[in-house]
Amino acid sequence: MIIGQIIVRESANGGGELRHRDDLKCADGELTLHTDPEDAVGLALYDDAGAYRPLKTAPNLRHGWRMVLADGAAARLALDSFYPGRRGAFAAFQAGRLHPTPLRETLGRQTGMYRVTQKITEEQIDALVGSFCRSDGGCLRTILWKRDTAGAAPSSLLPSEKFDPTHDQSGQTREQFASFVPLLCQEACNLLVAKARAVVKGKSSSGKE
Amino acid sequence: MNSTDPSTSALLIVGHGSTVNPDSAAPSLVHAAAIRRRRIFGQVACAFWKEEPGMRDWPFLFDESIRDVYVVPNFISEGYFTRTVIPRELEMDGAPGAVTPRPDTGQRWHYCEPVGNHPSMTELLLRRAREVAPSVPERETSLLIVGHGTGLNDNSAVAAKEQAARIGAMGQYARVLSTYMEEPPLIADWAKLTDTPNVVVVPFFISDGLHSYQDIPVLLGIESEITASASERLRQGEVFMQNPRHLHGRNLYYASAIGTEAQFADVIVEQAGAGSV
Ligand code: SF4
Repeated sequence: MIIGQIIVRESANGGGELRHRDDLKCADGELTLHTDPEDAVGLALYDDAGAYRPLKTAPNLRHGWRMVLADGAAARLALDSFYPGRRGAFAAFQAGRLHPTPLRETLGRQTGMYRVTQKITEEQIDALVGSFCRSDGGCLRTILWKRDTAGAAPSSLLPSEKFDPTHDQSGQTREQFASFVPLLCQEACNLLVAKARAVVKGKSSSGKE
Repeated sequence: MNSTDPSTSALLIVGHGSTVNPDSAAPSLVHAAAIRRRRIFGQVACAFWKEEPGMRDWPFLFDESIRDVYVVPNFISEGYFTRTVIPRELEMDGAPGAVTPRPDTGQRWHYCEPVGNHPSMTELLLRRAREVAPSVPERETSLLIVGHGTGLNDNSAVAAKEQAARIGAMGQYARVLSTYMEEPPLIADWAKLTDTPNVVVVPFFISDGLHSYQDIPVLLGIESEITASASERLRQGEVFMQNPRHLHGRNLYYASAIGTEAQFADVIVEQAGAGSV
């Protein structure tokens, strides 16, 4: 199974091995072995260069590890740390129970320091989403939300595949793997909301968060 | 929890999180792992305001076998986050003890009191003070509890004041004061606010994040500018904080935030338990 940048080679009991897709060809001994699913929190925290990863679905998962997990519960726990909420969101999607929230609704709900995001213009949304959410260097999620209740596209700068749950946002080939779990984005994340605030305030960075 | 089956009960720890500081979410994640190991809940998850999973991911956090979810805000005080942001994002009734039914799954979501309301906070603050300055005579020592103060964190100042009053009433320290980052009495004025040779400062914060690890040391004069985060400095082989510092002719001791204490896991479980009554 493929989920984001991770390959899961499942065993009969639902456990199995997790590793970075780029490390597929590495010999087991070249990778650091983990058997505790709780280690996933630490593995997901920093990228290869040691920089903090606030966005877990950013395409910068660190390399060089493999995780061998005893059972399905352990595998689920690990995946929920690498990609929080994404397994559940995909299950809801498959069951027809995933209801995306338009961006304008997300912004309209904000209070306090984020209330100002309601002032963001259409042009600013187009540029911000186009750069911040792009799969190449931004975020590997498939966007399911619309810009507003009228159904406007989130950004004209993103290719149509960015909104297609059958498309692998990593751009890697996956012929040899039977199943694929897309990382769905049913509602704009708080990082995007914080960036929207920075855009409205005319700052390049959102400062202290 | 007392009255329901543990395997169908879940715990959701809600933290603030940060997009720039990896240490903000750490206490919530560490306590979640510790509580998971005790197997008193069928599932234990965290959700954050500024990190993933976001609170809006609430429908995706628990399996369908879960019947009751206990939501414990890992916050020091009641206020804007516990009363406005968390109930709004989790689509819950925000009154402490309120139960929100989820028609889709039949789950009941219980809103519990924040950890900071728990009676053991006073003891945890005192313990931190003793740990950081184990050999100083308390009669010659002022203890300063630092809260955020002002703005959206409205009740954090009240909470810090209450703790200072409780510890002061015990009569151990020469003086016990609550101070704030952004409103008087300012922690930056610590030397003026105290007259003892020893001053112990304990931040009333959950994590060694931006405020307690990076901002307050600058306000105290320990650091001249904002440093890297605690975990980054640790990775570079630096110690947490060197104590004491000799500043303004005093011995200044600065403790780490209380939310990282292992005992906090018990507090979270107890807040969840209280929510089930
Ligand atoms: S809004 Fe969605 S697609 Fe964009 S960065 Fe956030 S999680 Fe990724």
